[in-house]
Amino acid sequence: MKDFKLNNYPKINSGFQIPEKYFDTFSDKVMKQLPNQNGKVISIFDRNKRWFFGTAAILVLSLSILITNQIQNKNQERVLEIENYLAYQSSISTDDIIEFLDKDDIEKIKISNSIDNQTIEEELFKNIDLENYITN
Amino acid sequence: MQEENDFIQELLNPKTQNVAFQKLMQDYQRPLYNHIRNIVLNHDDADDVLQNTFIKVFQYLKGFKGDSKLFSWMYRIATNESITFINSKSKRNGTTSEAMQSKIVENLKADDYFDGNEIQLKLQKAINLLPEKQQLIFKMKYFEELKYEEISEILGTTVGGLKASYHHAVKKIEEYMNSN
Repeated sequence: MKDFKLNNYPKINSGFQIPEKYFDTFSDKVMKQLPNQNGKVISIFDRNKRWFFGTAAILVLSLSILITNQIQNKNQERVLEIENYLAYQSSISTDDIIEFLDKDDIEKIKISNSIDNQTIEEELFKNIDLENYITN
Repeated sequence: MQEENDFIQELLNPKTQNVAFQKLMQDYQRPLYNHIRNIVLNHDDADDVLQNTFIKVFQYLKGFKGDSKLFSWMYRIATNESITFINSKSKRNGTTSEAMQSKIVENLKADDYFDGNEIQLKLQKAINLLPEKQQLIFKMKYFEELKYEEISEILGTTVGGLKASYHHAVKKIEEYMNSN
């Protein structure tokens, strides 16, 4: 462009566009944020809805996680208490406990203690009352 | 001036305040929006600043002494809010206001609310290279077509100083437009 002179050139507008109907709702938006005539404080809620909900969501989530953890910890403690009681304090014998186990419980114990069939066989052979186990 | 004093009284009177303030917004929302938008460049930012401006106008009306026109006083608030906004935003982004504004201008073509042609875009880039105050004076004179006396009341600079600043701005813009 040669010899551009701003004052000689037709007026150049900024190029900025405004969203349609922006001004239709603008003053209502502001009025809602003003203190009312009783002098109430400007609502932070209205001005910063996004921040309010975001912060509230984070707080609720944190509390939920905390409470869930507490409940889980309490449950784990209860389970541990029961196990310890059964193992060390109660007069319930191992045989009594075995009576209450069903097939699913046994499978779970096998998995949790990594007991395989070979180990079971070895234990059985150590016990000379093999016949009792087979018949029972 | 009496008319303005009467209007200010309406704005201060709780019984007439709401109606008066809505009229104030109707009268000034567009020119103040344009003024703010010229500074902050982005529509969403301009919307935020415009809202803050009117809220501050409402809050500070009680302290308005009437030693300047209501119009100049509101424009001053709008200008300060715009500059504060840019400075805070750039600080939050870990950059300078100049760098942030340059980035916005470079990306104007991709802005949904900018539909300027090549020369409009070039002019925005040329203006962006000016010192901050000179940019402001140029925009207020050229885009907003404010009188020097009005700009003087808003910015607190003498009319002579404004004319000199505008003249320098125009020269630099012309150099840019001719060499790019």
